[in-house]
Amino acid sequence: MMKFYKEELREVFGKTLAKLGEKYENMVVLDADLNTSTRTVLFKDKFPDRFVQCGIAEANQFGIAAGLAKIGYITIPSTFAAFAARKSTDQVYMHICLQKLNVKIPGSYCGMTATECGASHNTAEDIAIMRALPNMRVVAPGDNRELESVMEKMMEYDGPVYYRIPKVNTPILFNEDYQFEWGKGVTLKEGQDITLIGTGMMTGVCLKAAVLLDKEGISAEVIHMPSIKPIDKDLIIKTARKTGCILTIENGRIFGGFGSAVAEVTSKEYPVLIDMMGIEDETFKSAPLPQLMKAYHLTPEDMVEKARKLVKEKK
Amino acid sequence: MKYISNEKAQELNDIAYQIRKRSIEMVSYAGWGHVGGSLSQAEILASLYFHALKIDPKEPDKEDRDYYILSKAHTSPALYATLAIKGFYPMENIYKYCRLDGLDGHTDALEVPGIDSTGGSLGIGLSYSVGIALGLKMKEAFKQRVYCLIGDGETNEGQVWEAAMSASHYGLHNLIAVIDYNKVMAKGFVKDLMSIDPLADKWRAFGWNVIEVDGHDVRELCEAFYKAKYLPVNGKPTCIIAHTVKGKGVEECEFNYNWHTHAPSYKKAQEFLEALSRYYHKDEEGFDKIRKSPIEGDLISVIGGEYDEVL
Repeated sequence: MMKFYKEELREVFGKTLAKLGEKYENMVVLDADLNTSTRTVLFKDKFPDRFVQCGIAEANQFGIAAGLAKIGYITIPSTFAAFAARKSTDQVYMHICLQKLNVKIPGSYCGMTATECGASHNTAEDIAIMRALPNMRVVAPGDNRELESVMEKMMEYDGPVYYRIPKVNTPILFNEDYQFEWGKGVTLKEGQDITLIGTGMMTGVCLKAAVLLDKEGISAEVIHMPSIKPIDKDLIIKTARKTGCILTIENGRIFGGFGSAVAEVTSKEYPVLIDMMGIEDETFKSAPLPQLMKAYHLTPEDMVEKARKLVKEKK
Repeated sequence: MKYISNEKAQELNDIAYQIRKRSIEMVSYAGWGHVGGSLSQAEILASLYFHALKIDPKEPDKEDRDYYILSKAHTSPALYATLAIKGFYPMENIYKYCRLDGLDGHTDALEVPGIDSTGGSLGIGLSYSVGIALGLKMKEAFKQRVYCLIGDGETNEGQVWEAAMSASHYGLHNLIAVIDYNKVMAKGFVKDLMSIDPLADKWRAFGWNVIEVDGHDVRELCEAFYKAKYLPVNGKPTCIIAHTVKGKGVEECEFNYNWHTHAPSYKKAQEFLEALSRYYHKDEEGFDKIRKSPIEGDLISVIGGEYDEVL
């Protein structure tokens, strides 16, 4: 029986910011009128002098975050993934990426987790956009403990980081000792017939799919890949050699996204059969999360169906 | 007509009541939505859709129509309610708010008759309106007007001012911006988070005519729309700054940023409708038809499992 955290991931984000604020006196959090939703309010209440309200003006917010970083602050310009990735792309590119500034960009309510907000807020393209920007590291933490560790590590790293914070209660993937590592994926289950690779909150879907596939006599290997850029090339090649087929899943659009990142590795280094779950030339519309996952075919049952096909094709 | 009759004013106020009522019902039933900013614009919408706008619900795409662009698209409930009242689609559709086969949480131009712009990301609507107004001018369609409703917090966005600058540069007298100046944003008061004052001075400095009105007075609104439509021979676009109250009509919601985005429960919505009927001195019973949709659940219901008692 898979266990889930009662505490939402965004709450951990807010709490960890507040905790990190004690250690890093040069840490500044910026908001664009979303702080009680994103939970940066927890940092704001503790360190009001290091919280900058920018109003509904994200391009400006990112410029300000960059300027602060230039003179020695570590800045967290917090907004929804939609606005970080789309509205402020040029500011991220010009100031933060080109100058390699110490800015850690959280993408809240990413993928389909803005749910009823619809296509304007449900951001399927943030992985693809951020991945394409030079010098930007991209991470999609899978559970509460991993997020804490990602945030600790990102503060130690000198450079731009984009990390996803879906609005969700995640499955419990790791214990309290777990340490996130840049460019490293984690094999959660060994298998022989097919590799299921998830990122962020979607790894839980892989784990459930593996249980269902097991019942049909298909042995699935499950890998969690939080670090999208840099990606764990060695692990991908290793598993490709082992199972000969890969099925990825992401909370987003596959064009240039996580599945594409995995495919870039295999097609160059060790081509194997690969399929990618995520949305294609469409958007996540308005609905509660379970309705969206079913409508866009991102459930464990959908994964089982695709896995069956791949394994068959492999033979 | 510049001045509206008493009967017309009464009619518009009745419609504003309906808009408010339906907005609350819609959001409560969907379990999602923006209440405060929907309630503040009811008179604006009534005055536009039942007086100033030249539109036909039977022909939403008629070429010689006026255009209404909701830039603060999160307040879609108010607009959806208005369009239903006007007859663009059956009222029944409002109970499919935020569902895949229904009305999108933010405006969707491809899905809903009567909606001319897809929105949700703030700051973009006025530029789009400038484009339509400019195009109409190029086509020499001098009788049509473009109206754009912008939130006050939304004017934090730089793009609003890019649009404002270009509208006056191109002499778009057929463009009318309306600011729903309800003083409150998502997480606080506009003046505390990112002050926009002096607002009227800014629009004048950008080359616009400015008319300030009580945003809840249908007479002042209709008069302002008349002036904006027929008087700017100086070639300037017009900005109507409507001084409103966020959450107007429901005491608990008024001036309260906690009701910016928060779906009232069935019980709370009942209280809101009763408060609303008190505000309008209407002897109306609460709703018995509306039920909250069954709770849909989260990731856990798709994957299966249980919450850890401790974590």
